[in-house]
Amino acid sequence: MLQVLIQGLLLSGLYALIAVGFTLIFSVGRVLNLAYGAYLLIGGYTYFYFSQQLGLPKFAGVALAGIIGCALGILKFQLIVRPLKGNHVAIEISTLILAVFLQSVVIFVFGDSSKILLPIIPGVERVAGAAIPFSNLFAAIASWVILISLWLFVRSTHMGRAMQAVSMDAKGAAISGVDATKINMFTWALSGTLGAIAGVFFASYTQLYPGMWVAPLIIAVAVVIVGGIGSIIGTLIVAHIVGFLEILTSAYIAPELRGVFTMLLIIVILVWRPSGLFGREEL
Amino acid sequence: MGLRWHHFALWGLFAVTLFVLPEFVSRGTLRTLIFANFLAIFAISWDTLSGRTGYISFGHPFLIGIGAYTTAILTKRFDVAMEISIPIAVIATMVGGLIVLLPALRIKGSYFALVTLAMMELIYQLVQVIRPDLTGGTRGMSGLPTLTRGAVNGYYMSVSLMLAIALTTWLVMRTRLGTALSAIGMNEEAVSGSGLSVTKLKMAAFLFSAFIAGLGGAVYIHYLGSIAPRALFDINFVFTIIVAALIGGAGTTVGPIAGAFFLTFLLEYLRPYLPGAERYMVYSGLALILYMAQPKGMWELFFQGIAKFDRLGRRE
Repeated sequence: MLQVLIQGLLLSGLYALIAVGFTLIFSVGRVLNLAYGAYLLIGGYTYFYFSQQLGLPKFAGVALAGIIGCALGILKFQLIVRPLKGNHVAIEISTLILAVFLQSVVIFVFGDSSKILLPIIPGVERVAGAAIPFSNLFAAIASWVILISLWLFVRSTHMGRAMQAVSMDAKGAAISGVDATKINMFTWALSGTLGAIAGVFFASYTQLYPGMWVAPLIIAVAVVIVGGIGSIIGTLIVAHIVGFLEILTSAYIAPELRGVFTMLLIIVILVWRPSGLFGREEL
Repeated sequence: MGLRWHHFALWGLFAVTLFVLPEFVSRGTLRTLIFANFLAIFAISWDTLSGRTGYISFGHPFLIGIGAYTTAILTKRFDVAMEISIPIAVIATMVGGLIVLLPALRIKGSYFALVTLAMMELIYQLVQVIRPDLTGGTRGMSGLPTLTRGAVNGYYMSVSLMLAIALTTWLVMRTRLGTALSAIGMNEEAVSGSGLSVTKLKMAAFLFSAFIAGLGGAVYIHYLGSIAPRALFDINFVFTIIVAALIGGAGTTVGPIAGAFFLTFLLEYLRPYLPGAERYMVYSGLALILYMAQPKGMWELFFQGIAKFDRLGRRE
């Protein structure tokens, strides 16, 4: 029982970290960024290249992953999202194409085979029969810290409130003197940074391989859909629902079925309550 | 329907070109052409659902997979003849089409796209776990009965199927039904405001798309003789279908065919230079540039080119 609780908390923390960058873009830009998973891919490989192949310090590797993710987010906004001017279907399709492109660039540079990422913080602690790798513990704590500071940032700083304003009503925000383009670019940069850092943790939790962007994308989608647009706290809660659902399924029903209930959850929530459990009413 | 003699002349010319092709090209090229034909079928199916009505499906393999798995299980596990199992597979896929339709009655845009993606992932995980004795689990099934032997026969089969589906789709889309479906893609409220039943129209589009997907999927695995969940319910497969339809030109019948042939041959000609999956780098890069330049596809570029040429000619 305690083992399930611990594993559930660790996995949910990771999922919250993965989902939060996706939530940001979905609520501020109202855009489904299907290349979000590619940030995690690029982040994981950047960390692998700098700290395992070049031997830089691990935290420098994480920081570089964040910087590259940030640059990628800005590039994506400037080159793809802005020229398509709010054509949502076109943005979804071009980000999907971009994700496949980035995946094949990774294959071209690093090869097709999967790589093992050394944990960021080595060491394992055993509590009540559950192994807690320090790396996962660190990821869970980091994700809590990041989420809470993000929540404070969005609520209390000028920039954060401007982001909220754009996400509620872009026109109204423009009338109040908020530069929506600037806010959007900032959000894309932030989302890229968060995604790339989440990628380092996700890759050390599972493994590093070119197809690793699909699973986190689907988790992020599930969390955002079930949580609803524009709710950071909703993201946190639903990440725990999804994480515990997976751990409970694999502990008590069958490990192979762990993803099935997540998918059913997405489908049921989208059809039954499209605005999500904690989101604003719209559509 | 506004049919003109040159429509039939062009279709006839296209069919004759495809049918005499085996006399001139090698076996290897024929095998590539077979894949292009099947990709064209899937792209037409995707386009009927998404290109026309604007309900973007990211889970089209969900439908293709239902057709493919139904006939595979029937022939392999229950020794049903292919003549019976393929029609059953098509009917099963149409039932699947109704399942995809359910969310489309309530949600649209990005939300609908996400539900279809979730449906594909769901069936991918279920197929491996529920009754692996029937589905073959993670490894899938091999040694399925095949419809044809040899590249030339396979080519004729795939090309006939593709042409039949393309011609049917083209004719259907020229009727009032086709016009109404495109109208849904432009403005759904206006269609329902004109007194048409949007639900019935969407049902027609989804059933028609599922019919093509089921037929294509069933015949495809009886060409391959094997089925594997990872190759079928794959986001890269979705990507290939969508890109083929979009690059060629969504909302047209010739577009998806042109896109499928273009992309299959592009991948094939890149093989000597980039043997592995890094070929997708050129492929997706090119697709991204083409799509950003003209979201309506190559077909539109072609027409724009003709119009420009026309204007130049008149000026002189």
